[in-house]
Amino acid sequence: MNLFRTPKGTSAIAEERLKLILVQDRSLLPPAKFEQMKEDIVDIMSNYFDFNTADIVINIQRESKKTLLEAIIPLLSVKRKTR
Amino acid sequence: MGRTIVVTAGKGGVGKTTVTANLGALLTKLGNKVVVVDMDIGLRNLDVVMGLENRVVYNIMDVSDGKCKINQALVRDKTLPGLFLLPASQIHTKKDINIDKIVEIISIIENSFDYILLDSPAGIEKGFESASAPAKEALIVVTPDVSSVRDADRVIGILENRGILAISLIVNRYDINLVNRKKMLNADSVVDILGLDLIGMIPEDKSVIESTNKGELLVNYANGSPANKAFENISRRIEGEDVPFLNFNSQRRGIFSLFRRR
Repeated sequence: MNLFRTPKGTSAIAEERLKLILVQDRSLLPPAKFEQMKEDIVDIMSNYFDFNTADIVINIQRESKKTLLEAIIPLLSVKRKTR
Repeated sequence: MGRTIVVTAGKGGVGKTTVTANLGALLTKLGNKVVVVDMDIGLRNLDVVMGLENRVVYNIMDVSDGKCKINQALVRDKTLPGLFLLPASQIHTKKDINIDKIVEIISIIENSFDYILLDSPAGIEKGFESASAPAKEALIVVTPDVSSVRDADRVIGILENRGILAISLIVNRYDINLVNRKKMLNADSVVDILGLDLIGMIPEDKSVIESTNKGELLVNYANGSPANKAFENISRRIEGEDVPFLNFNSQRRGIFSLFRRR
């Protein structure tokens, strides 16, 4: 045992792991909230574009180090007069 | 009108029952009339921690089923006048709980006590639901580790969705020596991650285990212990007093502790 070599702390690792885990946990919206979010996105997007609401696909995906919100909205046209 | 506070955590074994018993004791010491309620139906333990297991006659399920009056089920503490236990049933399961009845019982108790501390079971199922349903405030107990903080985050989300917004954090089993050597999560990080107000840290302290071995409250067993001091500070903060946080660094043992390894 080397007395003069300070062992590397593990608390920083714990903190980093926790933050990643919680981002993933917190992104798991209950179904009702998810639908509400979808409606909110549609509301905002419809100020700028024409599209079919039925064509919209929204997913939350996990990758190793991040969580992604993916929204696929096929556009029909751009609105000439945006609010 | 008493304040009804649920003591909960998500994860098991982090110290909910010990915290409930000892905070109940210190709030009583401050002159309050307190009832601690064991909501762990089927796995009761608060009676054992307080050393009252031989005095239990009726329990909260008996009250709920109309088999006895609330007063008959309340167990008076051995040493502290003003502290009462409402025990859980050992023969029922969580499925038998009638949440509306529990809420009704607690609302009646609120009329004659200053504090009602509800000791929640682990988990997020019906036991937790019935422990938190009557509460207006919550104390979240965490130990400084990844699993405990993760589970706490989930519980906090559920409580907030139910409209319980007065939620404070207790970091239990805090070992400042490990924290200083960067081997344990810092309380500040836990507070930062969970986004709650910290109401106190309870140091790792063998007198807690010893007092529960004997079925004695910490205030009677080891009044001057660091853990009891921490409980006292937390109960004063619950009462609204502005108590400075304990300086755990004073427990450092000088230069040689740098070379001491566990």
